Amino acid sequence: MKPVRRRSAFYILIPTAPVILILISLCLGRYPIPVGDVIASLLNPFFGTAIDARTMAIINYIRLPRAILAVMVGGSLAVSGTAFQGLFRNPLVSSGMLGVSNGSGFGAALAIIIFGSTPLVYPISFLFGSLAVLFSYFVGRIYKTATNITLVLGGVIVGSLFSAGVSFLKYIADPYDQLPAIVFWLMGSLASARYKDILLAGIPMAAGSIGLFAVRYRINVLAMGEKEARTMGVDLRLTRIFVVACATLATAGAVCVSGVIGWVGLIIPHMGRMITGSDNRHLVPFSFSLGGCFLLIVDDISRLISGSELPLGILTAFIGAPFFIYLLKITKGKGWES
Amino acid sequence: MGIMSSALIQARDIVFGYEGLPVLKNVSLTINHGEVFCLLGPNGSGKTTLLDCFLGLNKPESGSITVNGKNLADLHPTETAQLLAYIPQSHQKNFPFTVFDVVLMGRTSYTGFFDSPDANDRKIASDVLENMGLAHLSDRDYTRLSGGESQLVLIARALAQEAPILVMDEPSSHLDFRNEMHLLEMIINIISKGSRSVVLTTHSPYLAFFLENRGIPVRAGLLENGKLTETGCPSSVLNPENMARAFNVNTAMISHSSESGELKSLIPINAIKES
Repeated sequence: MKPVRRRSAFYILIPTAPVILILISLCLGRYPIPVGDVIASLLNPFFGTAIDARTMAIINYIRLPRAILAVMVGGSLAVSGTAFQGLFRNPLVSSGMLGVSNGSGFGAALAIIIFGSTPLVYPISFLFGSLAVLFSYFVGRIYKTATNITLVLGGVIVGSLFSAGVSFLKYIADPYDQLPAIVFWLMGSLASARYKDILLAGIPMAAGSIGLFAVRYRINVLAMGEKEARTMGVDLRLTRIFVVACATLATAGAVCVSGVIGWVGLIIPHMGRMITGSDNRHLVPFSFSLGGCFLLIVDDISRLISGSELPLGILTAFIGAPFFIYLLKITKGKGWES
Repeated sequence: MGIMSSALIQARDIVFGYEGLPVLKNVSLTINHGEVFCLLGPNGSGKTTLLDCFLGLNKPESGSITVNGKNLADLHPTETAQLLAYIPQSHQKNFPFTVFDVVLMGRTSYTGFFDSPDANDRKIASDVLENMGLAHLSDRDYTRLSGGESQLVLIARALAQEAPILVMDEPSSHLDFRNEMHLLEMIINIISKGSRSVVLTTHSPYLAFFLENRGIPVRAGLLENGKLTETGCPSSVLNPENMARAFNVNTAMISHSSESGELKSLIPINAIKES
């Protein structure tokens, strides 16, 4: 166990790090804005601080919603990945495990082909993401002995089914208009973030993340194996359904508004585990914070690096891989047993 | 305490099978307050299946099990956990929790679905570690423990669960000679405090004899091909005749007079050739 002083310092960092990073992010961009002006813009709606309208519009209506969304999406993906890795006791499981990413991708592609790039893409993508998980769950229950292994298998099968569906939609899509929209959506971006999107997608993301936070001790007990967890009083079925439902809400909420951002839901939980250890009481809140900060930084880099914005799905891996290797080296891969 | 009220587990005519293959055939068994019950039988005779019925993991196809007067089938997992604590023979260790946190998990059934153990639970866990002489392991990484230490930690976890029945699946199978003795002393210690019963499966008849020699209330049961053929004190159940029938092994009962009385055990002579 860590000394108490270090642990409480750590707990202060969990909520403050994303806030500080959001403030820094608001300064950054094609038009750099000094911190003073950023704070004046943020306070303007409440206290009427003096600030020119253009600066305020950039900060309050463009950069702030995007930064908040980045934190929420990163946090939701990371927390879902953490919960799934704990539930399935498997390091290769990610937030998209039960087909939610492929399902959402399919829904988005379908919506783009039928309705074009309208806001309808969000709810349809969310719907198909959730449907995919429901499918996986029922495939996993076909065997009488419904265990976590069959659930994972169900996820793999349903995920690849929807992935094939996406390929089919790409194949029949109009190559000049729809196809680029689908491809770009699948690579992930927060560029279209507005407050409306945050509100809409924020509800399932917040609900799912809070649910996972609440149930995190049960996930600890599941690490002992299903049989032992059951004999210690864990209602396996209820816990499994609750964790899967929360992680699905959080991930589908994130994916429908940001596209498929790989890596965060797989690797951030591992990074968190290397830093805080495997106890979900600490790991779950820390993963949210770490995932949020990570995606925010990646999105800042994406905004700064070129006017056309590199897709996030590409950047997360480019930036995350070296960071992961570095962490592996300094922590010697603590957090998992072979 | 009357004879009827001393029954802690009452199993009547349990039938259980996997995919139509019958494993337990009309097993009836009573486990009493304050005793050790040693279940012996050849591989595949249904020992672990029977334990899993007691733990509520297997639902018998017919027959009934009552624990402390309550019908096991009606109990929620948290209620079952407060009556029966399970100690596995070994398990896969995925995450490096500290020994203290593993013992604390024994308190799960006393915490709400959305709660973590509180200060009272932590006190119970640290008291158990203290009483078992394991306090020095408290902050150690549980995945780095030896087989003997892990077994003790899992017992500590079961004690923190505060259930009147401890269920052990082959508790000594991974232990060296010294650790096996340590485990048996631990069981004797738990039983002599009077508030708990132990149900265990084992492949070593001498484990049952050891407990009998030490004057602990102990009974043995012989499970043969899904049927409980004998129950009683080890020296009467685990006799050469029964052992030859159940295991196809010729044995001899030996006895040694010591200051503490007559010590009995069973020594194997040879395996009976299958004809």
